[in-house]
Amino acid sequence: MPLVRKGGGEAVPPPLAGPSALTRGSADERWSAARSAPLTPEGVEMLATALGLETDERVREAIFTRLARAATPGSVEAVLPHLRSDDARIRTGALDALKAMPTAVAPRLAELLADSDPDVRLLSCEIARELPGPDATRLLCDLLDRETAANVCGAAVEMLTEIADPSAAPALERCAARFPSEPFLTFAIRVALDNIRSAS
Amino acid sequence: MPPAPVTEEELQRLCEFLYRKTGMIFGESKRYYVQRRIDERIAATRAGDFAGYFSLLRSDIDGEIEQFINAFTVNETYFYREDHQLECLTRDLLAERVRDRPRSAPLRIWSAPCSTGEEPYSIAMWLLDNWPLVDAYDIEIVGSDIDSRVVEAAREGLYGKRALMRLSPEVVARYFIPEGEDHWRLIDDLRQSVGFTAVNLVDGPQTRAHGRFDVIFCRNMLIYFDDASRRVAAENLYEALLPGGFICLGHTESMSRISPLFTVRRYADAIVYQRPLERVRG
Amino acid sequence: MADTAKKRVLVVDDANLVRLYYRDALERAGFEVIEAFNGLEALETLLDGPVDLLIVDVNMPQMDGLTFLTTLRSRDEAIAAIPALITTTEAGPQDEAAARTAGANFYLTKPVSQDALAEYALLMAGGAA
Repeated sequence: MPLVRKGGGEAVPPPLAGPSALTRGSADERWSAARSAPLTPEGVEMLATALGLETDERVREAIFTRLARAATPGSVEAVLPHLRSDDARIRTGALDALKAMPTAVAPRLAELLADSDPDVRLLSCEIARELPGPDATRLLCDLLDRETAANVCGAAVEMLTEIADPSAAPALERCAARFPSEPFLTFAIRVALDNIRSAS
Repeated sequence: MPPAPVTEEELQRLCEFLYRKTGMIFGESKRYYVQRRIDERIAATRAGDFAGYFSLLRSDIDGEIEQFINAFTVNETYFYREDHQLECLTRDLLAERVRDRPRSAPLRIWSAPCSTGEEPYSIAMWLLDNWPLVDAYDIEIVGSDIDSRVVEAAREGLYGKRALMRLSPEVVARYFIPEGEDHWRLIDDLRQSVGFTAVNLVDGPQTRAHGRFDVIFCRNMLIYFDDASRRVAAENLYEALLPGGFICLGHTESMSRISPLFTVRRYADAIVYQRPLERVRG
Repeated sequence: MADTAKKRVLVVDDANLVRLYYRDALERAGFEVIEAFNGLEALETLLDGPVDLLIVDVNMPQMDGLTFLTTLRSRDEAIAAIPALITTTEAGPQDEAAARTAGANFYLTKPVSQDALAEYALLMAGGAA
């Protein structure tokens, strides 16, 4: 019979030891080092440093993944600055990583939703999606009542539309009244209110 | 009083939520079953109405997401369950894998998770019956699962009538021996041709110990993980593939919500994902 | 049944409401609309065949719009040349430059009105049918 049972193929070699491989060595070596970096505070710090220097997209993804796996306040802190990056891939990577550690990022969310940078506030609405409905609704409604950027409101409304909590209706209506000449926002709020009202 | 019927909008909202959360796609053809499942789960959780249930689902209370999607993944596995992928394997994937490859290099195929073995044994039987080059190459098939009890059952190779329902009588006669009332045992040659192990695919060292594969079947597993674990598992699966190797997911799953590591390839019978061939370093 | 005379637009955006809003505008303008959640899903969708126009957001999970477009433009197939409109909340000159480098034909800052969207779509696709 051509089908052969063996004891198992040759194992994939274990990653290079030493976190120094995180910033030295080939892309493959850095990738392996990132994936097996210790989840200790020291390990998270080394990942944070490497993240700031890394230019290979796959290695960067692996660093983000490892930081999300650590899911500590330190790893949240390591990822947060990259939410502000000018590079779309890095912003995406940072946001995906934060969404993958919802419990760790939750204490920072109110602060992020009040950040001076509207792009950060906008991306942070997406993080709020990971919270339980009532918590997300409360934070996003608070944002809606003070937000000046229509795009950020739009992101908050997107989240509130999924949750469809009736307690969001007043804030949504107030927002619609404040932005009468923003066609997308008007549309979005109408859909959100429809969802809430048709909720059985 | 029975809950109000789920509206189209609510159905859409739930499907979108599950896609974001798990990567599982519920197409138009599945909507009826999703509706039924919602009704079942509203009753089972005593949520009262859709709003109450959806809130529970969003927060994954008592593992409700897994409860919900369990109905759509396999409760009972059976042989030749996804024959489209088996067709794709022999028609397209192996042809690419053996191009420019010495005959001495074995082809390695991984079924993970393998559950009670129907999938890896199906691959073995299918190759023997359908791949013209099956005698030209050594083929190693490995079946792995996190649950060591199902792995043990897989080694036994004993199956009931339901598992065999997609097999023709000729195939059953060729590969199975009846054993007692309503049981069939896989012939020894087949049982010995698949190696079984227990493995947690989120665990790097455990996964690495299995070496690299040409094709991995990883169906209906990634949808059950949280984001962080899913990313790790995707990386581990990538590492477990040879450059140019393929990974096949369940037919309601897509890598598009999971990881950018793989390139999507479309064949007549299936969509599969490929680890890119080695990059040329400049 | 799909009207084969209509031109097809692929809307790539992870926000459900944005896709809904664009779909509304584009269908009224006479287009057939298909949707993708992110760059990866867009690449997968394009395996089914080309479209006449791409409308692509930038910030999306797993694969952003610029990476998607760069990947697409590097392909050696007909789909590499599909006209693409990038829509994004980012409004700086470096963002517009990045969009052009990635291969965008036009770039609009969100929020985009339905009228503007339909106008650009008709222009870029050479009509809806």
